[in-house]
Amino acid sequence: MEVSWLYLIPLLPLLGAAVNGLVGRFLPKAWLYAVALLVVLLSFCIGLFAWFEVARLPGESAQLRQLVYTWFSVGSLRVDLGLTFDRLSGTLVLVVTGVGFLIHLYSVGYMDEDPAYWRYFAYLNLFVSMMLLLVLADNLVAMFVGWEGVGLCSYLLVGFWYDDETKAYAGRKAFIVNRIGDFGFLIGIFVLYFYTGQVGFQALKVAPLSLGVASAAAALLFVGATGKSAQLPLYVWLPDAMAGPTPVSALIHAATMVTAGVYMVARLSFLYVQAPGVMAVVATIGILTALLGAVIGTAQMDIKRVLAYSTVSQLGYMFVGVGVGAFAAGTAHLITHSFFKACLFLGSGAVIHGLHGEQDLSRMGGLRRAGLKHTAATFFVATVAITGVLPISGFFSKDEILAQALNTRAFDFLTVLPDPGSPRLSFLGPTIYLVGTLTALITSFYMWRCYLLAFEGEYRGPAEVHPHEAPWVMTLPVWILAALSVVGALIVLPGHDLRFTWEHFTEGLFARTRGGAPAERLPELVAFGIALVVAWAGFATAWSLYAPGRALEGDERIARVSPGLRKALAASLYVDALYDRLVVKPLWATARTLWRVVDATLIDGLLVNGTAQAVASVGSVLRRFQNGDVQRYAAVTAVGVLILVYVFLVRG
Amino acid sequence: MVGPLHYLFLGAALFALGGVGVVLRRNALIVLMSIELMLNAVNLTFLTFSRFPLVKSAPTQAGFLSGHTAVFFVIAVAAAEAAVGLAIVIAVFRSRSSVNVDEFDTLKF
Repeated sequence: MEVSWLYLIPLLPLLGAAVNGLVGRFLPKAWLYAVALLVVLLSFCIGLFAWFEVARLPGESAQLRQLVYTWFSVGSLRVDLGLTFDRLSGTLVLVVTGVGFLIHLYSVGYMDEDPAYWRYFAYLNLFVSMMLLLVLADNLVAMFVGWEGVGLCSYLLVGFWYDDETKAYAGRKAFIVNRIGDFGFLIGIFVLYFYTGQVGFQALKVAPLSLGVASAAAALLFVGATGKSAQLPLYVWLPDAMAGPTPVSALIHAATMVTAGVYMVARLSFLYVQAPGVMAVVATIGILTALLGAVIGTAQMDIKRVLAYSTVSQLGYMFVGVGVGAFAAGTAHLITHSFFKACLFLGSGAVIHGLHGEQDLSRMGGLRRAGLKHTAATFFVATVAITGVLPISGFFSKDEILAQALNTRAFDFLTVLPDPGSPRLSFLGPTIYLVGTLTALITSFYMWRCYLLAFEGEYRGPAEVHPHEAPWVMTLPVWILAALSVVGALIVLPGHDLRFTWEHFTEGLFARTRGGAPAERLPELVAFGIALVVAWAGFATAWSLYAPGRALEGDERIARVSPGLRKALAASLYVDALYDRLVVKPLWATARTLWRVVDATLIDGLLVNGTAQAVASVGSVLRRFQNGDVQRYAAVTAVGVLILVYVFLVRG
Repeated sequence: MVGPLHYLFLGAALFALGGVGVVLRRNALIVLMSIELMLNAVNLTFLTFSRFPLVKSAPTQAGFLSGHTAVFFVIAVAAAEAAVGLAIVIAVFRSRSSVNVDEFDTLKF
């Protein structure tokens, strides 16, 4: 159905960004807050209205569309700024604006004392606008604009306190690592355009693609997703991105932007099912990232870094979901994750706020009884959700992904090597299930470790810091998110006859994999039982090491048993050091060579200054002739005339 | 019998003397006078070719009148040149108290 008001959804936050960014510093604080919050709230209301419209419409036609204008038209390429509001993008619009509004509200409390609050809110509004464009775009080019826009906002907000060199560096790192992925994304768009002449999702959906083209495009677009969504091997920017203000970590680096890659794969499900090999890669990268993030998360001492590695790990789960063809399960986890992870991050923000900037878990402890009652309670709820010790949102959405991975038939007809005699890839799904279950165990362990270290036991921080609870503008959004983490379970409840589940809601939206109906390798109840046992096992391990009163004994015990492992984990398995050695240092060396040799010597020295020096030295010889003696000029002229006369008259 | 060659050699000699004077003499007034000499040498050459035309079918008995015309132009220009030149020499003398052309060498580098 064509409508004429969809453009308001991304436009309003953009206007807010313009107002706040251009005149924000001259406005009274209350006005600026009103503008920043109202535009997002209005976007949310329009989104909600549109969502109910879409929910009423039946099946596949359930979408609102608007062609805002034709952006450009060159030769056979026509790029429209077109928006599509269907059940997937619509729900994400609600998540982005809804969670976004809560985080804006929270930021009012968190950033109130920062002198650059107006800049912060301008960036935050701009981010919401770009994210909405990314989600609503109906073609790859417009999506790429949003894709780059959120990357820009991420850079601006990670390096928000840019006078701190490490934070500015983290911002640059986030941007540059993302650029590597974006390069792949861009080439992927080119490949699709080159072979089909189309960039719109609707047109691409029906365009015939050979296996090679589909695989190349899908793989290249996935490179973009590994950058944006912090997957192996490009995940390294996300933990450092925690240098930004905590609400930013919640909004951009947990709930919305980093899930853009998952959304993109789900949006292009029709493309990915045509490239089953790439889907196997997506799922494999996803599960490896999930495991790696969880393992590193077990030894981090910075509360935000624990959550960052947890985000990396959970994003890995989402890619497992979309990689095995369970697009609904992957995106459902995206939604529930945005609730509980935003809640966790905002909770950590309240802790940092209450401890005047302290982020180190070793100087926390006992915060629940030290006054941070609301924060502790909400953090507890969100931890339950992510670890799955009780069946609320995270339990179901994660378990659905693992079950789908176990039962998938998407890889049954793939072989390990191109040779038809080599073994089939059908072992991949069950392997992913096993690794994923192990990851769930580790997830439960490190999240409970984090909760126990921060909120239980005795306070270990310096005596002069008195922990205090955050104001209501900060606790209210966290409580709402905690409630959503619980209620969110409704949309991911198992049971295929429930009409309100995400799977039912998005029926027909995603393409189906070639493998056919999933196998029933494990009864559903058994899978749930295993998931529950695993979650409790993780909790029990965490409790045995970090039970209240034991303080940091757990870490010391691990360090005693295996000092090398503990050190490696705390240093993030030396991946950053490895990248530094393999990529950053050689790049710096190359750049320095180019600067010293090519730029300074060749271009500046030889070409620029060389030309000038050549002219100057010729001139220093020639200026001897310009001595100002008119009579000598006359003599030279006379001699010249005589020579000419001789040449032309006497000899000629 | 005085023929065209006599006039031409005289003209060439005067021109050469004038040229040498322009190049070698250091007094600005003498330089100007040498220029006059060169111009008049040219005038003499013009008139010579006017009196003894190289082409036989001359329109008048006295030969081409264009030579005379050119001479009148040269005389007019020479008069103007002498006036301007002397004025410059006087102006330079007022500022430098000298008419030695070797000292007027600021027109360099």
